[in-house]
Amino acid sequence: MSKIDNVYKEIEIAVGTDYITGKDFMKAAYSRNVDPAFPDRWADIIVRPETTEEVSEIVKIANKYKIPIVPRGGGADLVGGSVSEGGILIDLTRMNKIIEINEKDFYCEVECGVTWGALLSELYKKDLTTGVLGPGSGFSATIGGGLSNSTAGFGSSKYGLVPDICLGVEVVLPNSQGTIIWTGAAANKYAKPFCRYGVAPDFTGLFMGDAGTMGIKTKCSLRLFPNSPYKIQKNYILKKNDYNKVFELMYKLQKEVKDGIHDLYINPRVVVQLLASLAKIRPPKRAKLSGPVFMFILEAFDERVLEVYIEQVNKIMTNDNIARPFEWQEIDLEEPLSKDWKFDFKFPYSYFNKFIALAPPKISCTTCNKVPISSIEDKKKANELFDNENKGNFPTQSFSLFARSIHLLPNGHCVFAGGFNAENSDAQRELVMDVWHKKVRSQVRYGGIHYWLGESISQSIVEADAYTPEFLQFFKDIKRVVDPNYLLSPKKFHMYSYDNDIRQNIIKSE
Amino acid sequence: MTEINPNEKYKHLSKIGPMLLQCISCGDCREATDYTSDPQKWGVCVVRDHTSGFEPFFGRGKMQIIRSLWQGKLELSKDMAEVIYQCPTCNACSEACAYDIDNAVIYEALRAELIDAGCGLETYIPMNQAMVDLLNPYQRNNNEKKNWMEEIDFKIKNAYSEKADVLYFVGCTAALTPEIQPVAITTAKVLHKLGVDFSVFGEQEVCCGSVAKRTGDIKAFNSVAAKNYDLFKKSGVNTIITSCAGCYRTLKVDYADIFEDLEIRVLHTIEFIKFYLDEKNLILKNLGINVTYHDPCHTGRNSGLSPLYEEPREILSKISNLNEMKTIKENANCCGAGGGVKKGFPDLALEIAKSRVLEAEETGADYLVSICPFCYRNLLDAINALNSDIKMIDLMELIDQALP
Repeated sequence: MSKIDNVYKEIEIAVGTDYITGKDFMKAAYSRNVDPAFPDRWADIIVRPETTEEVSEIVKIANKYKIPIVPRGGGADLVGGSVSEGGILIDLTRMNKIIEINEKDFYCEVECGVTWGALLSELYKKDLTTGVLGPGSGFSATIGGGLSNSTAGFGSSKYGLVPDICLGVEVVLPNSQGTIIWTGAAANKYAKPFCRYGVAPDFTGLFMGDAGTMGIKTKCSLRLFPNSPYKIQKNYILKKNDYNKVFELMYKLQKEVKDGIHDLYINPRVVVQLLASLAKIRPPKRAKLSGPVFMFILEAFDERVLEVYIEQVNKIMTNDNIARPFEWQEIDLEEPLSKDWKFDFKFPYSYFNKFIALAPPKISCTTCNKVPISSIEDKKKANELFDNENKGNFPTQSFSLFARSIHLLPNGHCVFAGGFNAENSDAQRELVMDVWHKKVRSQVRYGGIHYWLGESISQSIVEADAYTPEFLQFFKDIKRVVDPNYLLSPKKFHMYSYDNDIRQNIIKSE
Repeated sequence: MTEINPNEKYKHLSKIGPMLLQCISCGDCREATDYTSDPQKWGVCVVRDHTSGFEPFFGRGKMQIIRSLWQGKLELSKDMAEVIYQCPTCNACSEACAYDIDNAVIYEALRAELIDAGCGLETYIPMNQAMVDLLNPYQRNNNEKKNWMEEIDFKIKNAYSEKADVLYFVGCTAALTPEIQPVAITTAKVLHKLGVDFSVFGEQEVCCGSVAKRTGDIKAFNSVAAKNYDLFKKSGVNTIITSCAGCYRTLKVDYADIFEDLEIRVLHTIEFIKFYLDEKNLILKNLGINVTYHDPCHTGRNSGLSPLYEEPREILSKISNLNEMKTIKENANCCGAGGGVKKGFPDLALEIAKSRVLEAEETGADYLVSICPFCYRNLLDAINALNSDIKMIDLMELIDQALP
């Protein structure tokens, strides 16, 4: 019997016959996420545990046989985050229970395989929210994935990133004991998981944005906020395509409106033009698309306060004739007027699907990198310079956008979510991957801070020589403590074993 | 990897066109709960909680399997068929899809490929063969299709020999299942009370072929569809009404796909009767009962561009106290019977139906109403299995009681 056969039999005993498979068609179904830039990769075994203890057993068996393991949440990432070439793929979506919604103390405890859509639906019934609504794929994306990718999403302008609302995690460490620990308040065995800091060093942070490399998150507790009942959408279009003005406006909005802004997305002019060209029902008169569109979602607990926010935003946006109010109907008659806009989950979650894959089934090589708002113009130029200099390197018929949208985050920074697309064919895949890595390296070198790192982005950061040797050694040392046999989520950060020199992957001359 | 020409190897899938490889694998077909939508969405795929829940049970997984087949990395197999057929093709996944992919059409094509490759499920072979040989999938003598008419005290025209304004296409389930024959009986009674000039084919009625189409047996489907085409042409039928959601979808949508010159109007009886009631301004008696309504997939998501969500509700609101379930209309949970699941995986069909009955019970209704004999069958089985107090009833039975 082969090693994999032995592993299969032992895991089968741990989770039951129905929840393990090694059949080819099953493996094929798990061979990709929303990441067609990658080739298909087939795990040896796919398993769907129901409890933390079962995850722990799987980890023990993997250690016994030295088989790699990769955890998978909703499988909605774009960067090769949760597929496995060989080894054990752990599908965590069976661990989808909402354990507690504590209305009095404003926190909840959930299993990490629950989706954002499912959790938020239960919270909204109680007029509660997690603030940040998880990634754009939140209908099907899991809470665990949001934590592992340090993701932003709708609500992030006000409430920050997903790790910002995390109060602690239950983690199975990938060691031979399958050790289970809680971080945050619950590290105190007498305490409920109601706060993050104080009981010990912030070990929660160790597992945030780790791309699944440090442990398998099985449960977590999250902050809750009362849901603001009054929400409104407002749009403005800049009269000039001027990104210094974009910065000035973002600065003023942060300073003067801050808490009223649930979200601010800025759609570059080229994107608005593209959307206009895709509109099914176009207005008879062509709109003048002079600059980027600012799309606000404002919220307040009181209608009168909301009116104040609306007035403040309008004053800032129209001062000196910088911008004018804009309606999406100016380019597409099927879009609702902002006065008729109603908040629902489909709006943010379809936003992801609509804009990440503008033209399926093309490959979408999209990434998010954070930059300070004062450097928006510089970073935009840097991206465009890269695109121009590498024109010949992109696949034919590909289009590249410095940002599909710019998303304001709390304090003084924002997210550039952009990339390029290409035909979804094996013939183009290598070319695509090369230029994608190169583009991300250029963003890393201008000081962009990426999240949802997965495989392609984490490797590109290494290739760009962003990490000091000391940092890389520290990273390896910490990982060795939790994962002594180097089994969990291999290949990320160009880490293939504890013996390999990660720095060999640095690409210096380009 | 085997070099293949997928368009030649997979002739059913190749007919789908660009939509076949359009899926970006976002996974909304697996799970998309939305408290904020109207109607609310509480999950998507009804098999999720009743199977092992691996990806191939969902749209995304099936699409990825198809992609692998297309690339020559995977071969069709019996193991694959076991999973692919555990899907009622209710198309809730299509409703959730950001790209409007018609998932059920693709699943049916994949099933057709499985059959062509000799990997279809054996359980469907006698059923689909009986459809061709005996003209019904229940492997019964088709003469029994006229038995329900013994309960009728007025003459019904024979569509084969007598002209009428409309043909009432009874469907095999209502005609041949004793517990469900009241659907046929009350439909005829209501039509008679309303003075509708209608006919039936009786023992000459040929199965519409729905189950063959859903299970991918294209040969059987084409065979019965051709027989019906001839029958309809010979009898000069202009309008067909049917009280079976499966027949409705098949005659209206699937026949239109294969017969360009059929030119027959197909209506569900509820659609037809609602029109009649409105036109004649008939007042229905309020029965004073508490009901809830189950949307059949084949009059909703799978019925083309004009789903029947409002017509049954408007009638029910007049004759009863309608209490809506948690999932309704385009987001309604399926009863679990369709797509060959009731035949091939009766335990799964029953478990899904039990979930739906529990959802119905939560409304406090005394009656669970539907307009599909096949939903009726499966939900009734679940009611019995649960020892539930809720009573299954077809909307035609209530209309019969409410008509003066």
